[in-house]
This record gives sequence, C-alpha cells and structure tokens, in this order.
Amino acid sequence: MSESTHPRVTGSVTPETSHPRSAARLAPAKSCCQTPSQVSAGPRAPVVAIVGAPNTGKSTLFNALTASRVTTGNWPGTTVEVSRGVWRATPPASPCTRGGCADGHEESTQDLTVLDLPGAYSLDAHSPDEHLTRELLQEGPVDERPDLCVVTVDASRLAHGLYLVAQVRELPLRVVVAMTMSDVALQRGVSIDSHALAEGLGCPVVTTDPRRRTGLDTLAAVVRTTLAAPVPAPRPTPDTDDALTRDDDRFTWLSAAAEQATVVPGHDRLTLSDKVDRWVTAPLLGPPVFLAVMWAVFQLTTTVATPLQDALDRLFSGPVTDTVMAGLTLVHLDGTWVEGLLVNGLVAGVGMLLTFVPLMALMFVLLALLEDSGYLARAAVVTDRLMRTIGLPGRAFLPLVVGFGCNVPAISATRILPDARQRLLTVLLVPFTSCSARLTVFVMLGTVFFGRNAGTAVFGMYVASVALIVLVGLLLRRTLWRTMGSEPLIIDLPAYHVPTLRLMALVVWQRVRGFLRTASGIIVITVSAVWLLQSVPAVAGQSFGHVGVEDSVYGVVARTVSPVFEPAGFNQWQTASALMVGFVAKEAVISSWAQTYATDQPQPGQSGLLGEHIQAAFQQSSGGHTLPAVLAFMVFLLAYTPCVATLAAQRREVGLRWTAFGVAVQLATAWLLAVAVFQVGRLFW
Amino acid sequence: MTGPLHQVLAEVSAGTPTVAEIIRRTGLSDDVVRAALDHLVLSGRITSTKLSLGCPTTGCGTCPSAGGCALPAALGARRPGLVSLALTRPVA
Repeated sequence: MSESTHPRVTGSVTPETSHPRSAARLAPAKSCCQTPSQVSAGPRAPVVAIVGAPNTGKSTLFNALTASRVTTGNWPGTTVEVSRGVWRATPPASPCTRGGCADGHEESTQDLTVLDLPGAYSLDAHSPDEHLTRELLQEGPVDERPDLCVVTVDASRLAHGLYLVAQVRELPLRVVVAMTMSDVALQRGVSIDSHALAEGLGCPVVTTDPRRRTGLDTLAAVVRTTLAAPVPAPRPTPDTDDALTRDDDRFTWLSAAAEQATVVPGHDRLTLSDKVDRWVTAPLLGPPVFLAVMWAVFQLTTTVATPLQDALDRLFSGPVTDTVMAGLTLVHLDGTWVEGLLVNGLVAGVGMLLTFVPLMALMFVLLALLEDSGYLARAAVVTDRLMRTIGLPGRAFLPLVVGFGCNVPAISATRILPDARQRLLTVLLVPFTSCSARLTVFVMLGTVFFGRNAGTAVFGMYVASVALIVLVGLLLRRTLWRTMGSEPLIIDLPAYHVPTLRLMALVVWQRVRGFLRTASGIIVITVSAVWLLQSVPAVAGQSFGHVGVEDSVYGVVARTVSPVFEPAGFNQWQTASALMVGFVAKEAVISSWAQTYATDQPQPGQSGLLGEHIQAAFQQSSGGHTLPAVLAFMVFLLAYTPCVATLAAQRREVGLRWTAFGVAVQLATAWLLAVAVFQVGRLFW
Repeated sequence: MTGPLHQVLAEVSAGTPTVAEIIRRTGLSDDVVRAALDHLVLSGRITSTKLSLGCPTTGCGTCPSAGGCALPAALGARRPGLVSLALTRPVA
C-alpha cells in the first residue's frame, strides 16, 4: 500500500519504511511479555483485514486478537475510522496462549498486521464506510490489498452476513469466515454446521466467541494455514450488467450455503406467533376473527360496566345533587341562577358524562390488552387488505385505525402517506371512524333501547363505520381521484407477547386522564354555554334564569333546526339540540341532554330519569317507529362532523377549502343515511 | 429459475401482506427472506417505514387537542413495532 492510503497515525510511529505496507507503521504498545519494538509485526508481516457488518463482533474480535497493540485514527482523506494492530497469531497448545512466555514460543508464533475495517454490510458502497472497504479490498492495486480477509458473520443472522462473504469471495483474496454469536443462534433454536458452511462457501469457517476469547487459537491456526496456501480462484459470477441479476446470483449462492449448514432450517421452525398469524391474518378467516374479537370487547364492556354506570348515575342524581342543593340553601342561593348553573348545568351535564368513566376505563383496558399483545397489529393487516381490495391506498389503514381512538391524532397520522392526494382522501375519511367520544353516546343509546344487546348495537355502529369509510372512499375515488394508485405494502409483524401490566396501566391511565381532561375542559365550557343559552329567554315576559328551555334561545334555535330531521324520525327539538352541541364535541351530546331534561319538569308517568326522557322523545318524533329512529340518529351521529378539534386538525393539514368540503360531505352523508335508515326501517319496525 | 431476490421482489410486487406470508409462499428461510428485504431496501428497490399505532412522531406541538389528548406520542412509540415496505419502482 502507498503511504497515502495508510491510517493517519494518532500514536507514535516506528519508522519501518522498507516494506511497502509499513510506511506509517503504528507503534505498538507494550504487551505482557514483549517490549514495544518486539511487538511490531515487521515489514514482511502479512496483512489481515477484518471486515463485517456492524454489530457482528468485528471490533470485539479485533480487540481480542490484538490486545492493547492498537492505534486508531481516521483513514487519510476520509472521516472513516480504522484501527490497526498486531496479532500474535499463536496456534493451539502454544505456551503463550496460556498466559506464559515459555521457551520456544517464538517458533510457534507469527505476528500479523491486522486492520479493523469499518462496518460494512456489503461492498456496494452505500455509505462512506462501505466505500472505504470496497476501495481497500476491490479497487486498489492487487499488491496493496491485504493478504487475507477475515469476514465476521453473525450466526444468528447468517444470510445477512453471507452477502458480504459472497462479494469478497468474488475477489482474488484469501478468505476466512469467523462465525460469531453462535450462542445467540442456539438460543433461537438454530445451529450452524461450520464444516458444511465451509464446504458451501469454499473457504474456511471458524466458530469463535471473541467476548469469551474462545476459538481464537483455532482462528490463528486456520489463518496461518490459509496464508501459507496460494490465493484461491475467485467465485465465478454471471456475465451481466444487471445489478439485480448479479445480486440475485449471490443470494442464490448464499441461500444454498446457509440452507445446507443450518441444522434447523428457518422455514421449518414456525413459532407460535407464525402459527397463530396464519389463521388470524388469513384472507377469509382474518376479518371474521377480527369482528368477533371486537364484538366480544364491546359486549364485555357494556355488560360489565352498565351496573357501575347506573350506580354512578344514582350517585350524581341523588347524593351529589342533594349535597349541592343543601350547600346552596345554606348560603341562600337556592332558586337563583347559580342553582341552575351548578345543579342543572355542571352536576347534571358533567356528572352524566362522568358516569361513563368505568365504561371507558374497561374499554381502554381491553383495547390496551389487544394492542400490547400485538393483536391490533394483525388487525391492521386485515384492515389493510380490505383497503387495498377496494383500491384505497394501503398505508391509509394506519390513520384510520388511530381514528377509532381519536380523530385528531389520526388526521396528523396521515402524514405517513407520501402522496398528497392519498393524504387528502384519508383526511376526508378519518372523521367517519367511530372515535371513543361517540362510543359514550352509542353505549348510552344501546343500553336504553337495546338492553342486553347493547354491546351488539355498539359493535354494529363500528361495522357501519368501516362500511361508511369504504363507501365514501370509493365514491370519492370514482369521482375526484380516478387515477390515484395504491402501491403494494408489506407489514413486518412483531411477535405476540404477554402484555406488560405496567404499560397497560399506564396506557389506560393516560386515556382515562384524557377523557377526564376533556370532560373538565371543553365539556365544562360547553355545559356552561348551553346553560347560558338555556337561561336567556327568547320570548317576552320572562327573565334570565327563569325561563323554560323550550322558550330559551337554546330551545328556539333547536326548534328552528329540528324540522330538518323529520324525515329521519328524530325531529324533537331536544334531540336536534343535542346534535348541535355535539358539533363541538361528541361527549357534549349526553351532557346537553342531561341539562335539557334536568331543567325540564318530568312529564306525567315519567320518573325523570334521562333514559326515559330520551325514549319518550324518540317514540314521539318517530310516530311509534322508535328503533328505526334511534338507529337513524346513531348513524347520523356516526357520520357527521366529529368535533371542532378535528376540524382544526383538518384545516391545518389540508386547508380551509377542503375542510369545508369535508364538512359538507359529512353532513350530506349523515342526513341521507339517517333518512334512508329510518324510512327503510319503519317498513319493518 | 429465479433466485431469492427476484422471488421476494415478486411477492412484494404482488402485494403479499406480511413477511411471514412471503416466507411461507417462497419456501425460503426466514433469515434469507429478511436478508433479501434488507438488501432490497439498501439498494433502493423498496422503501421501509416504521409505523406507529399512536400519534406521529412529530410531537404534540401542533396538535389542537394536545392538552387533553388521551394518547401521547411517547406511548404510541412503545407499542410493538410495525414496519411497512413498499416498492419504489415497478418490477420489470
């Protein structure tokens, strides 16, 4: 090698310039039994280069071979660091290997110059490190190349390391493979037969563990034997300029070598995850399994949580309300607007929302269980397949999955889509995913109208949500984005694992806290605003805080809007007003109902419970077709604008014009579907 | 006869949904298929993207509901990782 291609010296230099390889020989440090001058590999010493991918034990091997006889520095003209050292290659049974310096050891010891070349997956020069390795092994003059190349290969990832071996074997070089991490491979149930591998690769293979300093003597013996032999003929390569064909030839070669050397072949070792995945991600079985799992989640949630929810409801409408009333009486504020705000507003509205905390917590526990175990990732595969079947972009499934938790981060998650039109389409579809805020309303209506089948009703809304995404997506693609393609997508699934209790608890707490923050933030503001609007009279002769809701600004506006919903069977002004408030946040639907009916006096024959009020309202507005009207309401709630936070996120991602277009699509879709559901449903119920 | 790289690339092109499915369909070992996919990513024939079931990794700074969010990005990042692989150009 020329002087310019040697490592920059960072330590002292021994001036041995007679050998072309030793122009800038690094000064070796003192070893256990040698003086510094004796440690030098000498001008005629063979040069051994250690190459290998990062994290294959290459540098560990270098350090084990050279001990402290090392100097490290950047290669001239580059920022790539190269270490250079002296390896006292001593074959097995030599006294030096046992730590002593017995007589006669010098005959059995050969000093070699060792270069620790930078980590490289291949000689394809994808990085400066790989470029330098390629330059030293392949592109430099033949007489300046190392005499022997030791390639470190991780036995637990054999094929990854053998690609570099394949390339090095194509060069006129002596090659020895140092196979590391056999213990890791064994832990994974893979055993590599080094003799069979050597036969397949056409070069020696030595199993070594540099961390425990095992196999180093054998490596020394093999390296010395190989150095004594002539340079072997390079591996023949196909005569082609096509890079893929050349690469594939190497993979064919390495695959055959790995196959014959691997005692337990990879494709025969199906893990439990693999076996389960073959069923749960199968094209036909996967979707029904996913639906069954989600149905179980909703059924379990509503069944277990309903008694807790009822108990909380009684707590807020009973003792909590009584306590607040007693407190107000004590300070002589009973019968004033303060009582209206506190009792009919905050206690009724926010209290009703808080009754959903057990339900949400249980739902979050079950979803966290599915997520942390790795099942939701499989569900993503099932959803992805559905997306691509209908021609939607493959990666769009991810934001949509996120949307079932909350639409706002889902819209932000559309940034993973590379194509602007795909992003836009997905942003427009995300609001149709049934977020957890809508879940509270669905559960309440499910419990009131469907009793023990509440879980199935809620599950049905989730299925409807998926159907809505598919239908609207297809509609938009067929009309606005006919030329949009959907690229193939592969998902590398993580293995199933036992959920971590701590992580699950953390996730559940974070989500419940988020729900409580929403309830204590935007919902309190909304409840206060609703109370204010319900307190301001819209007709003459009434005063602030002493007006029936129907005659308040709130009631008058709601009565103006409510006829729009007559074809859908829910044109009661109380129902319409809940939808108006729900535009701000879906949790506010329940709180506004609670406020409205808490302010109203119970009708004859009603106990005053919220569920009974709502039942009566739907029965009256639908002309007796209560269930079709409730289903129509739930479909409307599913399809129309989720909340103002989602609108803000949409505006940030796609601008005001497309946000307005999205709101128009949502409202039109919601109204048309609600009318269709009611009009068709009333024919049967 | 096509080699492992062509086989894996053909499966990616055909839309095979998971790496496990590619292994099953090609009959190649897990190690070889993963090495082939890594090589195809390195050589720029397919792209590899880490996916998260939580929020995007860009943080909560611009999110309108950051204050009351139920799913911080840090939590999403701790979930079992998904990696998506997609062709960068059609297979000849």
